[in-house]
Parts: sequence; C-alpha cells; structure tokens
Amino acid sequence: MSMVQLLQTNAQATPARPRPRVRLLPYLLSLPALLVCVAILVPFVTAAVYSLQRYRLNLPYLRGFIGAGNYIDFLSDPAFWNTLRISITYTAVTVVVELLLGLGIALLLRRPSRFHNAVSIMLLLPLMTAPAIAALMWKLMTNPSFGILSYLVGLFGVTDFKWASDPSSALFTVVLVDVWVYTPFIMILLLAGLRSLPRQPFEAAALDGVPASFVFFRITLPMLAPYIITASLFRLLDSIQQFDIIYAMTQGGPGDRLMVFQVQAYLEFFQYTNVGRSAALLMILWLITNILSNIFIKNWLRLRARAHGHA
Amino acid sequence: MARLEINSVSKAFGAARPADRLSLAVEPGEIVAVFGPSGSGKTVLLRMIAGMFEPDDGDILVGGRSVVGAPPERRGIGMAFQNFALFPHMTARDNIASGLRARAGGGDVAGRVAAISKLLKIEHVLGHAPRELSNGQKQRTALARALIGNPDVLLLDDPLRNVDAKLRYEMRLELPNLLRRGTAAVLYVTQDYREAMAIADRIAVLIDGRLAQVAAPADIYAQPASVAVARLFGDPTINLAEVSPVVEHGMLSAMVAGARMRLGAADGAAPTGACWLGVRPEDLAVSSGSTDDAIPARILAITPMHEKAVLLLRLADGTEWLAALPPDAPQGAADDAVFVRFAPDQAMLFDRATGLRIGPSQRLKAA
Amino acid sequence: MEHSSLAGRIFRGVALSLILIFFMFPIVWIFLMSFQSNDQILRIPPRILFEPTLANYEALISGQLRTAAGNLQISFMRNLFNSVVLSSAAVLLALLLGVPAAYAFARFKFRLGETIAFTLLSFRFAPPLLVLLPLSLYYQELGLNDTYLGIVWVYQLIALPLILWIVRGYFEDISPDIEHAYRLAGHSWREAFTRIAVPLAGPGIAAAGLLSFIFCWNNFVFALILASADKQPVTVGALAFVTASGIQYGQIAAAIVLSVTPTLLLALYAQRYLVEGLSLGAVKG
Repeated sequence: MSMVQLLQTNAQATPARPRPRVRLLPYLLSLPALLVCVAILVPFVTAAVYSLQRYRLNLPYLRGFIGAGNYIDFLSDPAFWNTLRISITYTAVTVVVELLLGLGIALLLRRPSRFHNAVSIMLLLPLMTAPAIAALMWKLMTNPSFGILSYLVGLFGVTDFKWASDPSSALFTVVLVDVWVYTPFIMILLLAGLRSLPRQPFEAAALDGVPASFVFFRITLPMLAPYIITASLFRLLDSIQQFDIIYAMTQGGPGDRLMVFQVQAYLEFFQYTNVGRSAALLMILWLITNILSNIFIKNWLRLRARAHGHA
Repeated sequence: MARLEINSVSKAFGAARPADRLSLAVEPGEIVAVFGPSGSGKTVLLRMIAGMFEPDDGDILVGGRSVVGAPPERRGIGMAFQNFALFPHMTARDNIASGLRARAGGGDVAGRVAAISKLLKIEHVLGHAPRELSNGQKQRTALARALIGNPDVLLLDDPLRNVDAKLRYEMRLELPNLLRRGTAAVLYVTQDYREAMAIADRIAVLIDGRLAQVAAPADIYAQPASVAVARLFGDPTINLAEVSPVVEHGMLSAMVAGARMRLGAADGAAPTGACWLGVRPEDLAVSSGSTDDAIPARILAITPMHEKAVLLLRLADGTEWLAALPPDAPQGAADDAVFVRFAPDQAMLFDRATGLRIGPSQRLKAA
Repeated sequence: MEHSSLAGRIFRGVALSLILIFFMFPIVWIFLMSFQSNDQILRIPPRILFEPTLANYEALISGQLRTAAGNLQISFMRNLFNSVVLSSAAVLLALLLGVPAAYAFARFKFRLGETIAFTLLSFRFAPPLLVLLPLSLYYQELGLNDTYLGIVWVYQLIALPLILWIVRGYFEDISPDIEHAYRLAGHSWREAFTRIAVPLAGPGIAAAGLLSFIFCWNNFVFALILASADKQPVTVGALAFVTASGIQYGQIAAAIVLSVTPTLLLALYAQRYLVEGLSLGAVKG
C-alpha cells in the first residue's frame, strides 16, 4: 500500500476528525533516519554487553558473563591508568594550546579585509586535510635522515631530536600535528563569533577611552564566551577520542607512550583479540564523552538558536 | 457560490484558547472583517479554515461540505498573508499563475494573469522576482495570487499591515470593489477598526478567542455589545466612568465626578446597579460656563489633529477623559477650568459585572 | 582599529607571517617534495630550487613502482577511486535519508523526531570504535564486511548528523506560510516539499552535501576496520603505502598530494559554508 493510499484510507475511515495526514507524515519522513539510529544503537548496546563478558576472539570457549570484571581489572592495571593519564594530558594540552592560539589568530584577523579573509581561508586548508594524512605529512617532515624539520632544529644545534620515535618527544610531536590540524577550527568559529558581536559596546568603550586590556577582558571575552565554550567542548570531545593522528604517526608508541583510549581499545581488539576488555575501555571513554557532549549540546543549542534568530 | 460556515469551532494550544466555540457564517459575495486586538485568535481562525491546523472541536463548512481534515489544496480557499509569503524563487507572474497551473485545465493562464494584474496595477512588474518588488507591489502580487483562482472562500490575513500609510489608504478604497468582483465569501482579518469599518459588510469582533459581537460597522460603533467592544472602536477611545444610576422623577441619572448627569428617560425598570458609563470623545461638549448638568474639569493638554482637536481633561474626581472637538470650536487653553457635558442619548451604560451593554432595548425588555 | 601604532602594526605583521608559515609550510613542502626524486629529497642541506620531475606521479598512476628490491605493484589509484565511490555514495545516501527527515524535524513538532535528531547528534561525539568494533563482528556474520555497502552505511554516522542539523536549520528559516500559500494554490505537500522547500533550502543542502563529502573523504578509522586493501580509501591506503614502499619518499609525497587535493579544492569552493558545517549549523559564517 503506497503512502498516499494509506493516507486517503485513513481520511475516509474517520471523516469527522481525521488528522493522520499530519500525524503520520513526519514519521514516514524520518523513518530512514530512525533506521540509522537503530543501526547505531544496536552495536552500542552490543558493546555494552561485551564489556560485561569475558570475551576473547582466540578463546571463544572461555566466553562468559563476568559482570564488572573487566572494569574491576582496570583498577589494578597500570596500562589502564597510563591510558587515562595520556588521554587526559593529550586532550588538555591540545585544547589549551589550540584555544589560545586560535583566539589569538581570530583577534588578529578580526577586522574584515580582503587580506584577512584570504589568510583565514588559507588557514582552513590544514583543517580540511585528513588528520591521518596530516600525520603522514609531518612524519615525512620529521624523518631523522631527510626531514626538513629535523634539519631545521639541527641548525639550532639540536641534533639527534627524534620527534615521534623518542618517548620524551613523542607527545610533543603528535600534539604539534593536532595543533596544526585543529587550531583553525577554533580560529574560524571564534572569528565568526567575533565578527557577529554587536559594535555598540566597543564604540562606547572607544569613545570613553577605556584601556584595551579592559575592553578585552570585560567586553570581548564575556561576549565571546558562548563561542569559546562551544568550540572548546567540540575540541575536547574530539581530542579525547583522537585516533587518526596518533595511530598514523606511531600506533600508540613508542612503547605505550601515546596509548590513548581508542588506540588502546583498537589494539586490545585486533592485536590481543580481547573484545570484552576493548569494549569496557570504550564504555569508559563513552561515559566521559557522554557527560561532555551533554554539556556541549546545551551550549550548542543556545548558539544555534542565536544563529537562526530566535534566541 | 459557496457559503462559509464556522460551527462552534474550538482550538487550544496548551493553556491558551485562541478559539472558543466560534460560530460565524459568511455569505457568498459578503465581506466579513474579523477584528480584534493582537493575540485574540484572528489568525488562528483563518489558519484553521485554510487547513494549516485542524480545530479541536466543531466544524467548518464550505458550500455545505465539511472541510475539516481535507488537505489545504482541496478546500477551495484563496489566502493572502500578512507577510506576503511570495515564492521567492519565482517571478511575480509565476507566483500569480501557480494556482492556475496546479489545477487541471487552468485554461487561458496568460490571459487571466494579465487581467488580474491589470486590475491590481502590477502588469509592469510581472517579470520581477519578489525581492525586487516594493512592499505595495508584493502585497498586490499576493492578492492577485489569492484572487486569480476565483476561490469559494477568500481569506485575507491583515493584508495591509506591512504596507505604508499612503498605500494602505488607497487599498482601503480599492479593496471592497476588488473583493466584490467575485462571489467569494471573504474573511478579512485586521487589527485596525477603521480598516474593518471601511472594507467590511459586517464586522466580527474577536476577543480572547470568543466572538464578542458580529454586526454591521455602523451598528457596532453605535451599539457596541460590551464595554470591551466599545473600547476597541474609536480613536480616541471611549471615556468611561464608574456610576450607579438612579431613577428620579421618571428620569435616569447618575453622579459623574460630583455632577448629576441625566442619562435619559427611565422606562420602567432602569438599571440601578454598578455600571460603566461610556461617552465617546466626539460626543462631549466643553464650555467655560457652568450649568446644572455639567462636569467640572480642568484641561491638561490640547492636541490638535487635522480634523479635530483632542483635549485631555481631568474631571473633579481625578478621572481623565478625552474630548474630541471640531477644530473650529472654542477650545480654551491648558489649565483652564471648564465644564463637560453630553446629551443623554449619547451615554451608554454597561453592566459592570458582565461588561455587557444595557441598551434602550434591554431596558425596555426589563420593564 | 585597536592597534594603529607602528609597534602594533609590526607585531601584527610578524605574528601573521609566523602563523602563515606554520600552517602553510607543511602543505607547500610536501607539494614540492612530490616533484623531487628520492636523491633530491635525501640531499642535505635541502634545496628550494630543484629540477622538478613527474616520475612520482607517473609511478602512482601507472601502478608500477621501481625500487631497489625490484618492481612493486601499487594500488594507490584504486584507493583514490574507492574514496570517490565511498564518499559520493555515502553523501547521496545521507541526502536521500537526511533531507526528508530534516524537513520533518523542522516542520513538525513530534517527540520521536527530537529523539532521532539528538541521538544522531550525540553519537556524532561518541567514540567511533564503540560502534565499529561490534559492528565489524556483525558485518562478518551478515557478509557486509569489506563491501562498499557496509562502509557506506557506517559513513552515515558522519554524514547524516551533519546533513540533518544543517538542512534542518535551512528549512526552519523558510517561512511555513510560503509552503501554505503553495498548498492553497492547489499543490500537495509533496509538491510543496520538492518545489518550494527543497529549492529554497538548496544552497544549504548543497553545502551540507559538500562538507559531508569532505568529512567522509577524510575519515580514516571506519575503513581501517571494515575494509581490506581493494576497498580502502586514500586515508588508509596512504598509510599502507608508506609501510609497503619503504623509502620511496617522493611517491609518498605525491600520494599525499593526490589524497588531499580533492578536499582542499572542495573546501575552497565551499568555504562560505565551512563555519556553518564545522559547527553543525550553530554558527553562521
């Protein structure tokens, strides 16, 4: 029965108050999207179940429900605490650096001019580069034998700087790539925010001869806050789950130096075929991102309402 | 030829009740203005008729057939929107012709578009996109689009709201002729009582989702059904005073700011409870000489307007009234002490509890 | 405005130059590298001026890579082709599924709609592996592993929330009265949808489509898990290529250039809509 027939039949069945026309239509239109939702939720629930099981692909006969066993194991597992520490460090450093740098660039480019617009468009290119590919680019540039960056730091007397292959500089190197890729994200959101701020407070401050630092901390920053919060949360959420850059650069190494959540979970699954442990690790990460994304969505909705003129 | 009939229609959105058992019939060829303050439910009523949402209760009939539940495109309705709602990606011509093309055998589309646009004086802008049109031209295009299909029912949602004053004046003169060309039953929503009076055969006054009065324009002005209706018609608005009329020597009278004012002959059982006394500003006379039935007052301000002068008066008890005088009448000056009077038959009385007018007929009925 | 003093202007000039160098240098350098032979690349100190060669690109396009160890078959063009197929199909599917749903969410207030919209949004921020790992096990049972269909389906995770939320915003910005007017003129809701709503939201739909194409193209982890060599897009292919080719740095650079050029060009073309796309419709550029 086609949709139209269905609607008409309904309309004839109850002539007095027939409103299936309005009632049914939205559901029919969103049915495919619902399907995708289900296709996401089923594996999600499956993962939650896996996380409560002893489940190793290479030892299928050992599979069984162990309650919070995988989670409890984490408590005494230094590898887990390492993962948590590295993930948090990576997230904190990248977000702070990108926020400060992005805000600085946005302020520099604030006044719309052809030159400033051209610069901001050029800065978008790193952001539009696939992060995994960006990691390869930096890998080429930091190659110890011919990498241009190795050569350049050599000019400053730093010889034998091993970038991502040395435990002491690996984090620095991947953070550098993350900063290169994602600073423009913060920059472009804050620039759009800065340019959408009302002018009157700034004009009034200029007329009154208010010092620039006061204008920045008491007018610009508070007014820009919703954009800063949304952009930072966006980055926090992506950064704590970073996989592409780290995996393409070092696969979590050297050693376990860059073993962030998703890389660790990936290796647990494919290298150690420990599905239960991998799922438990991802559930913990999900818990963290879920809390963050709830905060994010609230702020994001507020900005969205403003953009669509019904704030 | 089809009659529009609204039978006891109700609609609620949460706690709001923009339509509360509304009943109204519009004859073919008749123009009924739906007039009321903003938020009174005018637009909701129109949208229920057009099928944008359905009533919770009651029925809407076009030509005797219920249209409730029918999709908008099958209701035989033309509508002009307050915000014009032109299709921004089509020329004015395609906007106007959209309805004809949709219906099988639209006939001579080009000829009919030409005819209607000539009538509305927009032939020269037919090739333009809506964003290139002035607000007046947009409004005329929207009207042409609503009129061209000769709909059974024509709904106009405050069509002159967004056009400038000069154009509004012109359109007020043109519209009645335009709308009466066909035989559509016309419902015309407006927030301007003058517009309603100029255009409509009858006015339906909508207040808080209820029809307070449905009557010819002159009748509504002269005999408002309630104090709320009386306050909506007239500029400046009607003057009110709290009174408790008494009967003396066969005459009805009441104390207004310390003066005993005659309110006409008491015919048997006159209203003697708590009332509102209403007198329209243009029915007041102001003089410097005292007489028996005059209210002492002081002029606070005088505002000259083109066809009258409006005096803001403070009565002896502090009540503020407005008087509209012919510009050539002696007006005095601000701060002058004056005396205000009105003819007994110009006074209206409203029940203070219900707000309903106690007209001569009601007084007779009570007798 | 704020800095009109000479010192201020010098500071801004220096700062902007440093920023441009930091962000542009890697792209420029890799681009130059892709035209150099291995010998030229390995030269120390590196030179800005060199005899450009197209050999790297020729090797990639022909699929024959000559190394010291002998001839190596490379399937990089296959990866490029996969990227085009996967991203285009994913975006088309997402548009087909997402635009009607976005319309429903914009026009009708119904609880299921909000639930779907927010579920998709919140899973945009959930760890992708959480969904991918169990899914890869399901896929093995369903026979969807290593199929275009299977990969295109999970790409909906990226494309659909983006299209839903951006297009929804565009639909919300169209006055419903315009559609009502069209219906009163005798058209069904479907005609109002296809001839009024969709054309008026057209720029937004196009922008959302372009952006989700870029994001699908740039995705790495989905195909890493679900695709084997002959279905892999460039992101995964380039990494595999690095491992396989060893020290053929010129070819790696050329492969990188080929992988990023399509998205960079699209990004330049659609830059007006990037802000909106990146913020999922919360900030207008």
